[in-house]
Formats: sequence, structure tokens, C-alpha cells
Amino acid sequence: MPNQNGTVYGLTILSPIIDDERATPSHDLQIRHYLATLPTDEHSPFAQVPGTHLARLVVMDDVIYVGMPACEEHLNSKYLIFESNIDCPDGNVDTYLRGLAETVAKHLDAIWSHCVGYPGAGNVAAFVAYMKACQLTTTFFFAAVNDKSVTESLRALQTQKAVAEFIATHQGMPAAQLQAEFLKFAADVKAAPTPRPGSMEQMMLARREIKTGGHNE
Amino acid sequence: MATMSKLNETDIQGFVLRGYNLPYARYVFLHLTEATSARALIGRLLPLITTGQRWDGGKPASTVNLAFTHPGLVALELPDATLYSFPPEFQQGMRDRAAILGDTGLNAPERWDDVWQGDPVHAWLGINGQTPEAVEACFAQIAAVIAETGGATILGAQDGAAVQIAGKPTTKEHFGYTDGFGNPDYIGVERKSQPGQGKLLEDGKTWAPLATGELLLGYADEAGELPVAPVPHILARNGTFMVYRKLHQNVATFRKYLDAQAPLYGGGAEKLKAKFIGRWSDGTPLELSPDAPDAAIAQDPMRSTNFTYGDDADGTRCPIGAHVRRVHPRDAFGFQGRLINRRRITRRGLPYGTFADEDEAVSDEQDRGVIFMALNASISRQFEFVQQQWIEYGNDAHQGNDKDVLMGNHGGRGKFVVQGDRSPSNPPFVCSGLPNFVELRGGAYFFLPSITALAMIAMGLVDPR
Repeated sequence: MPNQNGTVYGLTILSPIIDDERATPSHDLQIRHYLATLPTDEHSPFAQVPGTHLARLVVMDDVIYVGMPACEEHLNSKYLIFESNIDCPDGNVDTYLRGLAETVAKHLDAIWSHCVGYPGAGNVAAFVAYMKACQLTTTFFFAAVNDKSVTESLRALQTQKAVAEFIATHQGMPAAQLQAEFLKFAADVKAAPTPRPGSMEQMMLARREIKTGGHNE
Repeated sequence: MATMSKLNETDIQGFVLRGYNLPYARYVFLHLTEATSARALIGRLLPLITTGQRWDGGKPASTVNLAFTHPGLVALELPDATLYSFPPEFQQGMRDRAAILGDTGLNAPERWDDVWQGDPVHAWLGINGQTPEAVEACFAQIAAVIAETGGATILGAQDGAAVQIAGKPTTKEHFGYTDGFGNPDYIGVERKSQPGQGKLLEDGKTWAPLATGELLLGYADEAGELPVAPVPHILARNGTFMVYRKLHQNVATFRKYLDAQAPLYGGGAEKLKAKFIGRWSDGTPLELSPDAPDAAIAQDPMRSTNFTYGDDADGTRCPIGAHVRRVHPRDAFGFQGRLINRRRITRRGLPYGTFADEDEAVSDEQDRGVIFMALNASISRQFEFVQQQWIEYGNDAHQGNDKDVLMGNHGGRGKFVVQGDRSPSNPPFVCSGLPNFVELRGGAYFFLPSITALAMIAMGLVDPR
């Protein structure tokens, strides 16, 4: 099962974008424009969808051969690529796709309505069938996470941060007091609500102020 | 990959090929007045420039080297087609790359020294010498040439000097660590080579020199490609790029922080200090001697840099986030170290300011630090990557958002994990609330041309066609 990594699943969907010379701006540019407005933190629509570790949307215009001698080849269509790592222990993606349609239908329609044959998220069964028809089964997918669920990952990050803080503030404390404080700490951590998906960056002790995405090859 | 036996040492500035080990320096910053007189100035300086030729007759009293910022090359009126062919990060300059480098907050360009705030720095003139008098005499000679030609104004100068202990120059820096172990070997660069200074071979224990193109433009690099370089080729070949950074050291803050943490740490103050950097104060690598310094190792070139981290994946000897392990991870990322061979830099520079012994009172306001200069073929691929990913971020080292404990721009919120084991003298420990031990006080990106290229610039012969 090449799309499966433990309980995590690499769902990759390739949807052909409508080629209509009368559309201005073209459908691919309209998708790009909409994607550019979407937040990437906890307010991302995909952060609301249960079981999403990572979701990435790319508009692929064409594939260019850069070798020598130059060789002109083209894709049959422009494509919208959806790549994700999702919780899917049984390998059946229907549950996740239904969750998508039920949670963020408005966004899905705004994006995929520019794709050929898209039925709309209102008809959940048709939506699930469409997405599965466009699914690319891979032999190798970008595994952004290990095989823990979204909830387990969020709680692990939360616990790691809390433990580091606990150690920093309790190092060297007499054993009896340390034990008492640790028991209280452990209970507090257990009782704390799970952080919202996408919210961990703000929770980190030192936020990354650094600008990334440069061309540091 | 083609190997070469020897480089043309007389065409390469000596500063590139070797650390001079001269204990005094003055780095002079010039603003070029206009192209004609500036070219005349370079022509007059040319015979003074120290090349990479071997010093068979002993070290000279002083050395001179010369490099230009991109605005400097614009002032020299190099052809546009040449100017636009330089890598973007060099064209932008260090100041405009602040967001990428994490030079924000206490390190932000607005807080840099005056020399970086007025007329742009066009050129760096590096003088090294055996004595302060030798440096002074060399500077006077150059200042006279500058005055005669009218080619430049001197914006400022930075003196540097090796820390003297008992009247002898050392490789100590102001925190008390021993510096200067890390420079790599390169194919063709003659140097007393020692194991641990090049790249790791497939067997995971033998070291070999890096490709010349990691240091010099015009030669194959570790990918077997020529580094990105300006046109014409003859302008670039045998040249390199230099990163200049003045790093102020908050010695009082450093000592205060260690004093506050040490009583909480079971290994003691000296060990905690060693855990920060990965070496004991005398330079002994923690990896080879985790319990105590061992002068026999520190002073043995066959051993002082000859180690890997493969048997210490948990960081119980050398913490995973220790400075030397972050900036030169050796085999720590797997794949026989191949992920790091294109991220190496060559370091030059000296401390500045008065050294204060451990029992001497210090304040952060006192002017002391280190002049950090890095030489590399690609500033973005080498220096900037190390600065951004390994100093200001910890993901590659599996340290999350933690920054380099010593160099990081922590803003009082930094964290550093000392991994440990069950022994009471080597417990795990978390340092939190880290302040900035080091602050950036200025700097720039320079192009350090070959002797041929300097002559072409002086004669107005640079032609990209």
C-alpha cells in the first residue's frame, strides 16, 4: 500500500484545470489568485478539516524539460495538485473526503470549480467519487510527519514544550517538592485541551521571525 | 571530478589561501570617490597586495588584502553586464539580507556602528601584522597612497588583535574558549592538513579535502559544477566572496548567565561552558574527552579535530545543539556527511577589544568581540544557509526552534538542551531564558578578486563580452 505510512496516508489528487480561452483571467490564474489569499496557519481551511497533517495546493502549468538539446513537450492540460498527509488508518479515504466536503465546501467550490468535471461539494457522494477519480496513487509521497495521528502529534508537541519549561523552572529542586510539583504538572498537562491544528507555531517559546523561502538551494 | 595538484598561488590573494597567524590587524573601510581616481588607487595598491605565494623567507612584517562590495564595483564603473551577473545576495548586500539572516532586534542594521550608517562602504582593506607598529606603518603607507590618488575616503577602521596571555598571542576569544579549529581543507590549497578538517569519506572515518570550488570561483565544487560567478570568467576565477561581521560579545551577560545556571547543573561550571560550544576551554573536543579537558588531545593535530558524532547520536558527550556540532555537523546528519559538504565556510578574523581575565570585572558596554570573516564561493549556499538554518533555527539538528546557544539572536527567550545520562556529573539540563551573548554591530558582503582581476579593474579592462 504505497500511499500508506502506518496510520498516515499520502493523498495526492491531480485535477485538470478547465481550458477556456474566453475566460479572463484564465481558470488557472483564478485558482492561483484564490490560493494566494488563504491563510497558512490555524485559520487555513484545511486546518479545520479533521485529520489533516499537511495540505499543499499547487497549480502546475506545464512540465519543462531543461536539458540539452531542448525538447518541446507539453502536458495535455494544466493541473491543480493537492498533496496531503492525512489520518487514514484503514486506507479508505472516503471518511477524510467527506470531512472535507462537510467542513469547507465553500473553499473547495471556489478552488475546484475551475477544474474539469467538478460536481461541487454540495453533493457529497459525487464529490468523493470525483476526488477519488482524480487521485494519483503514488509509489513515494512527501511524508511530512511520522505515523502518529494529528491529535497525538499536537499533544506530543504540547507536552514537549511543557516538559522543557517544567525542567527549566524546576531544575535542582529538592526531590520531594519536585515530585509533588511534577505530579501536579503531569495532571495539568493531561487535563489541558489539545491545541488547535496549525496553532503550534504561536505556542512555541521563540517564534521564528526569520524570513524563509529564499533561494537557499 | 578532476583533481589538480596545485593552484596558481601568485594569482590568489593570500588571505584566501591561508590564515596568516599574524596577531595584529586593521580592517579599513573605504568609500571610493569616483572611478578614474579609484582605479588609479587600486593600481597603486596592487604591488602591495599579499598573494598566496609561500613565505619561504619567513613571515612578512605585514600583509595587505583588498575586497569590494557591490556598490564599490558600481563606483568603479564595471560594465552593467558584469555588475548584474553577480549573485543576487551579493548585489543586495548583507544589510538588505537582514530578514533572511535573522539580523533583527538587537542585531538589526539600525543598531550597527556608525561606519555602516553613512556613505556606503565600497572596499575593505585588510592589514595584518606581526606588531602594532608594523600594522601602523603599513596603514600609513596606504593612507598616503589614498591621499595622493584621491581615489577614496577612509570611512573608518577596525583594529583586531589576538588575545595575549602571559605576553604571548593565543587563539583564545573573550568568552575564554579556544578558537580556530574548524577550517576545512580544499584540493590544491597547500596547508598543514589534519584529519577532521575536510570532508568525510564513505568509510565514515577518513577525511579528504573539499573540492576547490567550495572556496574559489572558477573551479569545480562538491556538485562537480562551477560556482555561480560573474562574467567574464577571468574576473571571477581565483576570487571568492567574503562575509564580514563584527560580533560584539556581551561578556558580562555571558558570565552572569553561566554563574546563575552552574549551581543548578550537576556537571559544574566548566563543563556547562564546554557543553555550550562542544569543546573545553583549552579546545579539547567533548566528543573525545567528555569528562575533563585533555591537553594531549587539544594540542595534537592528529586528534584535535579528528572525531565524528555517529556514536553520540543522543548528544550525551557533545550536546546535539552545541555550537561546533551545529555549524560543522560532520556525520551527524547521516549519509557520510554528504549533506554538509556544500555548507562549509573558511573563517578568518581576530578578536578586538581588551581581554578580561576571569577574575576581572567586565561590563557589556566595553568594546570587545570578534571580527568574523567567512570565505566561500557562494554566500547564499554556504554562509547564509549556515546562519539561517543552523544558527538561527534548529530543525536540521532536531532541536526544534532552538537557536545556537552562543550565536543565536535569542532576545531573552532562547532555550538550549544539554543532553545527559544517568551519571550525576553528566545530567540532562535545560538552559532557558537565553539572552544574546553576541550582538551584530555591522558587516557587509565583499568580492575578493584575484590579482589578475584587481589589475583588470585598475586598468578598466573588465569586459563581459
